Amino acid sequence: MPKVLCSVATRGRYFTTLPLVLSAIINQSKPVDKLVIFDDNDEPKDMRQELIYQHFFQILDFKKIAWEWVFAEKKGQHHIHQKANEMGFDWVWRVDDDAIPEPDVLKNLFSYATAIDSIGAVGGSILTPPLQFEGYFPTGKIENIDTEPNIQWSNISKIKEVDHLHCSFLYRAGVQDYNLGLSRVAHREETLFTYGLKQKGYRILAAPHAVTWHLKNPEGGIRSESKKEMYAHDDQIYRNIINYRDKTIIILNCGLGDHIVFNKLLPDIPNPVIFGCYPEIIPCRSIAEAKALFGDIEHWNIYKKMDQWKWTDSLENAYRKLYL
Amino acid sequence: MIIIHPYAKKLINGKRNPKNYPFWKELISLINEPIVQIGIEGEKQLVDDFRKNLPINELRLLIKECNTWIGVDSFFQHLAWSENKAGIVLWSVSDPLIYGHTINNNLLKDRVYLAKNQFLWWENTEHNSDAFVKPEEVVKLL
Repeated sequence: MPKVLCSVATRGRYFTTLPLVLSAIINQSKPVDKLVIFDDNDEPKDMRQELIYQHFFQILDFKKIAWEWVFAEKKGQHHIHQKANEMGFDWVWRVDDDAIPEPDVLKNLFSYATAIDSIGAVGGSILTPPLQFEGYFPTGKIENIDTEPNIQWSNISKIKEVDHLHCSFLYRAGVQDYNLGLSRVAHREETLFTYGLKQKGYRILAAPHAVTWHLKNPEGGIRSESKKEMYAHDDQIYRNIINYRDKTIIILNCGLGDHIVFNKLLPDIPNPVIFGCYPEIIPCRSIAEAKALFGDIEHWNIYKKMDQWKWTDSLENAYRKLYL
Repeated sequence: MIIIHPYAKKLINGKRNPKNYPFWKELISLINEPIVQIGIEGEKQLVDDFRKNLPINELRLLIKECNTWIGVDSFFQHLAWSENKAGIVLWSVSDPLIYGHTINNNLLKDRVYLAKNQFLWWENTEHNSDAFVKPEEVVKLL
């Protein structure tokens, strides 16, 4: 049975919405295999001293659900999600600290994720009372993101394949990296992440019978120290990446030999746009330009990938896995 | 003519690159053919004909001309592979199953000498002369 990690990033909501969220996770009809809470508070507390949390931890132990409280690095939720992404589980269910899932959300998301081939992520409705977006018929296409409400903001009545999800969803772990070049507010991080899964050939679903109530608590929140410039920075990275969606972005921030090996498989790569260090081997644009356009370029780091994959095959085949 | 490419890239911390073969002098003395050394300024000259800082296109032409080549695990073995010219690679800590090419004679003394993590920089890996094959074993393949 594939293992599911539930990941919650929290900040400033110890005694408001976070207890509601944890209670809802504990009471899912399909229990998670592990719950990890990433505490991004400026002044984190030992919640084992708080009565309500003592109860939560005891219930988790009683239900034999592993749990972990991690003090996060205050770099933003994209860093937190990436940590969860790399924790070795098959699936990660990400839940905001003010988003309350109904009891069958995980059960239903998981059933779609495992019953249908090639699912990268599946998300249900994320509703905020009073409901404002009923009667719209959003496409969920990336090209319509500026002109339509997100499909998850209304009751989803039937399953629909989309390009991207937001807020809370279940995703296949260890396939796509979060963009760590975004600012602390990590604007569009979930859009980039789910669209990245789609670009890797996985299907993204908006699914019915999986309602999460997003209370949008005005206090606290992982993005609470936001600044306009951070949003503008992140939005620019998002738009740059989306503008290249019909291309294969190749970033060779590596040695001369690596360029030579990669060059062998270049003819097999559709619509390549190459950023690299050795234009005498492969005509390319600079690494500095790649960083400016896309923020984080680590998910194109072939050595990091081989390390993650515990690679034992050839370098050439590692490039094939990364780009083909 | 045989090309030798004796040195991998210099390490940032100034330590000896663990991929550098320690027995070049002895190996060269066993070779009865003209030898061209290729490399960059600052590397130790081992034979009379040392061609430094050649552009890639000139290296490609030289590879075409040579009978074979001997080198360590560095860009040159990949360049020769891209020209479909087989040679001998002298391995130590990096894994020929990952970084090597099957057209070559990949001389690895023993897999016990391979670095545990193949994907980090080489700065923290110590040079170990015992990890390399002896020159007599190399010349057998010429």
